[in-house]
Amino acid sequence: MKVRKNLPEIMKELISEQKYKDNIVHWHTIEEKEAKTAGLPEDIHPSLIEAFQKRGITRLYTHQKTSYRTAMNGDSLVAVTPTASGKTLCYNLPVLQTIVNDPDARALYMFPTKALAQDQKSEINEIIQESGLDINSYTYDGDTPANIRQKVRRAGHVVITNPDMLHSAILPHHTKWVSLFENLKYVVIDELHIYRGVFGSHVANVIRRLRRICRFYGSDPIFICTSATIANPLELAEKLTEKPMKLVDNNGAPSGKKHFVFYNPPIVNKPLNIRRSATLEARKLAGELLKNKIQTIVFARSRVRVEILLTYLQELVKHKLGPKAIRGYRGGYLPTQRREIEKGLRSGEIYGVVSTNALELGVDIGQLQVCIMTGYPGTIASSWQQAGRAGRRHGESLVIMVASSSPLDQYVIQNLDYFFNKSPETARINPDNLIILVDHIKCAAYELPFNAGERFGTFETEEVLEYLAEERVLHQNGDKFYWMKDSFPAHNISLRSASQENVVIIDQSDTANVKVIGEMDRFSAMTLLHEEAIYLHQGTQFQVEMLDWEEKKAFVREVDVDYFTDANLAVELKVLEQDKLRTSTIGEVGFGDVSVVAMATIFKKIKFETHENIGSGPITLPEEELHTSSTWLSFNKESLNYKQDRLEQGLIGTAHALKHIVPLFVMCDPQDVHVVPQVKAAHNEKPTIFFYDRYPGGVGLSEKIFGGIEHIMHETMEMVSRCSCEHGCPSCIGTDTSSETGKKDVLRILGSFKNGVNQAGDKFVH
Amino acid sequence: MSIKNKLNRLKGHLGTEKDKQPTPAKVSKNNINVPFKEVWEAESVYPYYFEDSYCLVREKEYSLDQMHGIYSFGQFTAAVEAWNSSDIKHPLSAAGHRPENLFFFDTETTGLGGGTGNTIFLLGQASLHGNKIKLKQHILPHPGAEVPLYKSFLESIDYSTMVTYNGKAFDWPQVKTRHTLLREHVPKLPPFGHFDLYHAARRMWKHKLERIKLAAVEKDVLGIERKDDIPGFLAPMIYFDFVERKNPEGMLGIIKHNEIDILSLISLYTHLSFQIMQLDKKQTPREVYEVGRWLSTLGESSQAKTAFNKISEGESSEALDARFALAFEHKKHKNWDEAAKLWKDIAEKGLMNMKLISCIELAKIYEHRLKDIGQAIMYAKKASNMMKDNSGGETEKLKIKQEELHRRIVRLERKFNRN
Repeated sequence: MKVRKNLPEIMKELISEQKYKDNIVHWHTIEEKEAKTAGLPEDIHPSLIEAFQKRGITRLYTHQKTSYRTAMNGDSLVAVTPTASGKTLCYNLPVLQTIVNDPDARALYMFPTKALAQDQKSEINEIIQESGLDINSYTYDGDTPANIRQKVRRAGHVVITNPDMLHSAILPHHTKWVSLFENLKYVVIDELHIYRGVFGSHVANVIRRLRRICRFYGSDPIFICTSATIANPLELAEKLTEKPMKLVDNNGAPSGKKHFVFYNPPIVNKPLNIRRSATLEARKLAGELLKNKIQTIVFARSRVRVEILLTYLQELVKHKLGPKAIRGYRGGYLPTQRREIEKGLRSGEIYGVVSTNALELGVDIGQLQVCIMTGYPGTIASSWQQAGRAGRRHGESLVIMVASSSPLDQYVIQNLDYFFNKSPETARINPDNLIILVDHIKCAAYELPFNAGERFGTFETEEVLEYLAEERVLHQNGDKFYWMKDSFPAHNISLRSASQENVVIIDQSDTANVKVIGEMDRFSAMTLLHEEAIYLHQGTQFQVEMLDWEEKKAFVREVDVDYFTDANLAVELKVLEQDKLRTSTIGEVGFGDVSVVAMATIFKKIKFETHENIGSGPITLPEEELHTSSTWLSFNKESLNYKQDRLEQGLIGTAHALKHIVPLFVMCDPQDVHVVPQVKAAHNEKPTIFFYDRYPGGVGLSEKIFGGIEHIMHETMEMVSRCSCEHGCPSCIGTDTSSETGKKDVLRILGSFKNGVNQAGDKFVH
Repeated sequence: MSIKNKLNRLKGHLGTEKDKQPTPAKVSKNNINVPFKEVWEAESVYPYYFEDSYCLVREKEYSLDQMHGIYSFGQFTAAVEAWNSSDIKHPLSAAGHRPENLFFFDTETTGLGGGTGNTIFLLGQASLHGNKIKLKQHILPHPGAEVPLYKSFLESIDYSTMVTYNGKAFDWPQVKTRHTLLREHVPKLPPFGHFDLYHAARRMWKHKLERIKLAAVEKDVLGIERKDDIPGFLAPMIYFDFVERKNPEGMLGIIKHNEIDILSLISLYTHLSFQIMQLDKKQTPREVYEVGRWLSTLGESSQAKTAFNKISEGESSEALDARFALAFEHKKHKNWDEAAKLWKDIAEKGLMNMKLISCIELAKIYEHRLKDIGQAIMYAKKASNMMKDNSGGETEKLKIKQEELHRRIVRLERKFNRN
C-alpha cells in the first residue's frame, strides 16, 4: 500500500516523471501575496461593526476601504476583484451605512442571474440580522410571490433583481415604485464583465431608461460595479452607465503561492497533428490527485464532458472515498444543493467538483487546492476566474490547463507571453446599435413621454423619434412625443438577443413536459437550428427534429452523440457604405455597413476530437438578409499573383485561421463574428476577407477588428507557423484546403499584408 | 449615413408594420384652437380650459323615472334607503351613505394591461344630483392634455365612495399611475370607499354566465339592449385615429359606449343590492342560495340562514344545496341535533359528494357531540363504502380523505370495544 502523496510531492512527480513532464509546456509560479488591510472606517455604525466582527471581519482589505470611501464621497466606481477577495463588502458596506444614516435611502442590486441574486440576498440578510438593524432587503424576480411584491416596492431598502426584471417589470411600472425611485442612492451592478456584446448593449439601454426615470423622480444614484479582470473595466462601466467612474483596483486580498501549469497532450497522429483528447488527459491528472485526497475542481466546457469526467472519477475513487466524495456542478443547481457542496468541501467530505463554467460566475463554493481546466475556457478573463477557484489564502495551489486540439487552445498554449503579459480581453458594447436602441426608446417612451431634443443617455433622439412618429408608434404633440400603441413594448423585447423575430427553441425530450429552452435570431438559426443540427444548450446536446421556419419554432430532443454539426452558408456580401478606409501598396482595410444575403446549403457531421467528417445532408431554407457592420481586408491583385484556385484555397485557409483568433481579441463568442473570404469582392473586385458582426446593425466587434487588424493578422500568422503539421490541419488552417501549398500560401497572405502596410508607412490604431 | 436612412434599411429587423398610411401634417403648437368645435358642441361636448391647454367635457342628465334595463334610476335611491334600514353588514352596503355620496366610474384606455404607458383617454362618472342622474365625461383631446383632463376630473369628484366594474384591479390603479406622472401639476387624489361590482357579479352569476363581462351581465341579468355598440377592444384604435385626424366621429361611439357602461353600473348596483337584501321578488332559488353562501362567508349567519330557509323546502337541487349549507350553519352554532337531522336527510337524497360529506360529518357529530359510537361507526363505514364505490377517478384529495376515514374507523372501533 502506497502512502498518500501530498500536493508538493505530486508537483515533484509532474516535473520529474516521463509520463507528465514531456507534456508540460510551461510551469509558471506566482508568488504568494500578503494581505493589505486597513482599519474599519470610524464612521461605521457600531451595530454594523459588531455584525462584521461576528463574521470575523475586523479590518478591511485595501480595495474594500477605497470602495467605501469613494462611494461615501458620492462617486461612482468600478472595483476590479479576483475570485474570493471579498468583493461584496465593496458595495454592502457603503449601502448599509448609507441606509443607517438615512432610513429612507434605497439601493437597487442587479445580478445577471436569479441564482446569484438569491445567494447575495442570503449574504446581506445575514449581516443585517447580526446587526439587528431595521433594514429590509428583498429579491424581486419572477419567483417573488404577488402578496409580498407590494411590500418590496414600498419598503425594500435593498431590492435585488436582474436586468430582465428591471426591463420588463420594474421600469414599465415605475409609478408603483415611487418610494424606490425617489430615494435611490445606489445602483449596484455585480459581474460587470458579463454585460458585453448584445446583452451588454441591451443592458446599457435599460440603464439609460433607469436613469431617465430616476431623473423624473429627482434622484441620481451612485453606481457601484464589480468586475472580474478584463482589459477595460473603467471604459465598460462608463459606457454601460454613462457616468464618470473611479477605478478601484488596489486589491488587498492575500493569496498563496500558485503554480500555473500548461499541459499539452501528446500528438497521436503526426500528419494530421491530432493530439490525445484533453478530456482523457484531464481525467488522468484529476484521478491521480483525487486518489491522494487532494481537493480538486475540474472544469469542462460542456455538460456531456462533465458527465463523462464525473462518472469516471467517481468510479476511480469509489472504494477509497465513497460515492459522494466527488460531485458534479452545473447550471441550474439550487442554492440548497450548492450550500451542501460548499459545506462538504469545507468539512472535507467532498474532494472533487466537476463543473461547467457555471461556477465562473461569483457563486462562492470556497477554495480548493487544485484546478484543472479541460481546454482553454475561451477568454483570458474566464481562465483567471476559473483559476481563482484554486488557491487558498495560505499555502500552495496548482492550476493545470490541459489544451485541446482546437486552434485557439493551441494558440494560447504556444503564446504564454500573451496569456500572462498582455492585458486580458476588452469587453465591447454598442448601446447605439439602432435595432437595440430603437427597441429601448420605445420602452422609454412608454414609461415617460419624450421631449423634443431630449437625449437618451448620450444619444440624440430627434431622428429616431421622428421615425417612430412616422411609423405611428409615437405621437408628436407640440414638443412632446407620446406612446401611441395599445401594446406593452417590453414584452416583445428580449435582452438576450438583438433581432425581434427570433426562432423559439422547444425541447420535446419529455413529451409530458415540452418546454421552451431558448431562442435564437433568424440568421444564426439557419446554420445552428436546421433539421438534424446538433444544438448545444448549456452544455447539453440536442438534435433539431423539426424546424418550422414559418412559425419560427425549432423542436429539439436531447441526445448524446460524439459529433457536432457544421453548416455551410453561401454568403453574398455587398458593401453598402464605406465609413473608414486605410490603404497601402498591398491593399486596403475598410469598415462600413454591409448587406449579407445568406443561404444555408449543406451541413456536415464532424466527430469530436478527430474532426473527421462522418456524414452530411442538405438544408432547405429560404435566403435571409442581414444588414450589419463589417471590416474587410482587400489585397491588390499584384500582391497576390496566384492562380484562381490557389488564391481561393489560400483565402479559405486564411479565413479559417482568422476565425479562431478573432474571438480572442474582441472578447466574444466564436459565433458572434463571421469571417468570409471572397476571391473577387463585388465593391472593389479585389480578393477580400470580410469580418462581420452576426447581429443586425452590429455591436462594435467589426469596428474593434478594424482597429487591430494588423495585430490580429500577425498573431494568426504566428499561430499557423507554429503549428507542427505539414500542410495544414484542423488546428490551424482547416481541412477544406487540400493542396500542399495551402499552408505556405496562407502564411504568405497573412504575412504579406503586414509587411506591405508597414512599407507604406501608414498609421495604425492598435 | 443619416440615422433615418439606416432605420429605413433596418426596417425588416425592427418589426414595425408593413403597410403605412401617408404621413399626416405635423400638429403645430396648440393655441387653444379646438378642432371640430361645432361638431362637439352639437353633441353637448364643451372644452374645459386650463392654462394653455384644454380637455373636453360632456355632461348629460337623466330623470329618475327613466328606465335602464329592468330598473329606473329612481330605484337606485330606493336601494340606498333599503341599505340604511337593513341590519346586513355587507361590503356593498350603502348604510351611512346618502345616494348623492356614491359616484359611478369607468374609464377608456389606450391599452389593455396595466403599465405606465397605458393612457386613460376618457374618464366617465355619474351620480345623483337632486332629482336627476348627472353624467359627466372628461375626454382627452390629445396625449398632451392630461393636466386639464385630471384637473377637470378632480374638481368633479367630491364623493365618499366610487362604484366600478373591476375598478379595483384596473381602472383605479391606472388612474393612480397616470396621476403619479402629473402629480407636480394637479391636486392629490382623494381617498375613496370603493364598491367593485365585478366580484359581486362573479359570485352571483358565474353559475350561468361563461364570462362575467359587464356586457354579458347587462344582457342576461339587467335586460339592457345595446344598439350599434362599439366593442371595447376597438377603443384604442379609434382613439389613435381620432388623435391623428381630430374628427370626433369615431370617438362619439366610444363616448356612448362609456355612457352605457356607467349607467349600467347604476342598474347593476340597484339589482345587486335588492338581491343581497333579498328584496327582489323575482330572485331565483339559485340566486338566493348564492346570496346565502356569500352572507355565510361574511359571518352574517342569521341572514344566511334566512336565505337558505327560504329555499330549503322541496327536492330541487337548490333546496338540497340550501339544506346542506344550513347544516353547516347549525354546526357553526353548535345546534348538533338540527345539523344531524339535515345531514341525515341529505345522506339519503343528495348528490354523491354531498352524501359522502354528510356521512363524515354525521360520524364526527356522533363521536364527539352526541356520543353515540355505534351510530358514528355506522356513518363512517357508510362513507367508506361510498368512497370505494366511487373510486373511479381517484384524486389525491380523495385519497387523503380515505386515509382519514380509515383512521377514524379504527379509532371508533377501539373506543367501541373499550366501552
